[in-house]
Amino acid sequence: MRKPFIFVILSLFVLAWITLNNLVDDWGRLEGGWENLTTFVSESMWPPNWSVLEAQSYPVCEKEIEFFCSVGYLGMIETIKIAFVSTILGFIGALCLSSFAARNLMPMYIAIPFRLLLSATRSLPSLIWAIIFVIVIGFGPLAGVLAMTFYTIGYLGKLQYETFEGMPSDSLEVSKAMGLSHATTFTSIVIPETANHLLSQLMFMFEYNVRHGTVIGIVGAGGIGYYINTYLKFLQYDKVLALLIIIFIVVVIIDMLSLILRSFVTDEGDVRRPSWLRAIREATFGSRNPSMK
Amino acid sequence: MGQDRPLLVLENLSIGYNAVLASEISARINSGEVIAVLGPSGVGKTTLVRTIAGLIEPIDGRVHLHVDRRGGLGKIPQKLGWVRHASVYHNVNLGARASLPVLQGDSMERKKRVNSALIALGIEEKTAEPVRRLSGGQLRRVATARALAQRPSLLLADEFLSELDHNTVDVVIAAVKEMLDAGTSMVMVEHHEENVALLATRVWLIEDEKFYDFSIDEWRERVGEEE
Repeated sequence: MRKPFIFVILSLFVLAWITLNNLVDDWGRLEGGWENLTTFVSESMWPPNWSVLEAQSYPVCEKEIEFFCSVGYLGMIETIKIAFVSTILGFIGALCLSSFAARNLMPMYIAIPFRLLLSATRSLPSLIWAIIFVIVIGFGPLAGVLAMTFYTIGYLGKLQYETFEGMPSDSLEVSKAMGLSHATTFTSIVIPETANHLLSQLMFMFEYNVRHGTVIGIVGAGGIGYYINTYLKFLQYDKVLALLIIIFIVVVIIDMLSLILRSFVTDEGDVRRPSWLRAIREATFGSRNPSMK
Repeated sequence: MGQDRPLLVLENLSIGYNAVLASEISARINSGEVIAVLGPSGVGKTTLVRTIAGLIEPIDGRVHLHVDRRGGLGKIPQKLGWVRHASVYHNVNLGARASLPVLQGDSMERKKRVNSALIALGIEEKTAEPVRRLSGGQLRRVATARALAQRPSLLLADEFLSELDHNTVDVVIAAVKEMLDAGTSMVMVEHHEENVALLATRVWLIEDEKFYDFSIDEWRERVGEEE
């Protein structure tokens, strides 16, 4: 078993290398790349400019703590709000569609149109959705929310119906034999059985939407991306770095929350939950032991 | 034993997945009958049960099932079909919800059925426990309690007494007898002769791709002759 596996991996690597070689016309471009990067980081980006956590000069800050009027805080909070709303709306929308797209829950003639609908929603990246909604309803967070909701539906929908299709069939067989309705089967069997995966996907999507909030902000759909775009235009890369570090910290916190949340629906989780310290360590450095004991 | 309209008629059935496992299966089940499906491993006993349940299409022939499609047919599969991440109550309640749907059924009646099923199977103290924490024997009790709460007209039970200790077998059989007394018919895939003798009124035997239908007396005679 091992030899064919190694052979397949090696063949894929060689194929990837040949393809890359075909794509790159001039390998000489790599020369001096590292030097350019270190110069750019040391001269333009480092150290991060933490003035992004101080109050903006306009509008005048009326809060006692200046931090709450800062670009870093306001941008991040708006991004989190956009990501939160669009993840929740997208998750609910995706659940409705994916329950009809799973082949083990629905006959093919129903599943296929729903799959096509999800594929169509997913085929447009969130950036394109953002541009469309900025054109339709103008700049601002609502365009961001709509863009990310649509993308979330397409993306999560696919992950969800694949998860449903991978669940053990015996409980579904019982449900079908007993004549339980589609709604009861879905809410009382499918969701509890796949809750761990659904929560993991939900948290991943939230994290993804927080990270992507930076991109859609660039086209005017609100959030921290708006400020990143402004600083990029004015070549203030040290401030950009500070905002990227803030995004990184938020992503780590979300990952930590995901670990805690999912522990409620894992086999061992209801016996012993991971400590906060362990959650921070695993979110930052990765898990050493997958069994979570 | 009622001789009215049969609950199930198998009409010249051929079963299997890609290849035919057994053919020329013609039989009927009347109200109150308990059928034991016997035969060596791999002859198609489970396939026959799954075909009757409508989970797979027969290769040939027809299955006429005259029970209410909403809750009239119960099933205890080999792997029991529990919802691992839900509580014992949730799992048993699924049975009650099949015959008394939430939007139509009486919620008090549903609750009553679930509680009496849990008591009958001796798992009332495990009500809130997630089923994944239960032992094998307790899980079989949960699957039986689910069927008990459903009160189907026809129950399909696939090796539901296997891997059980004697005490648990007694508890499960007592609960099933209660269900049978209330008018449920049953098709059970079984390996143990003593369980067949306790419950069955007829025996279906699948052997060498052929199907045989015996009354329990005919079966006892056959077993006696073989011994």
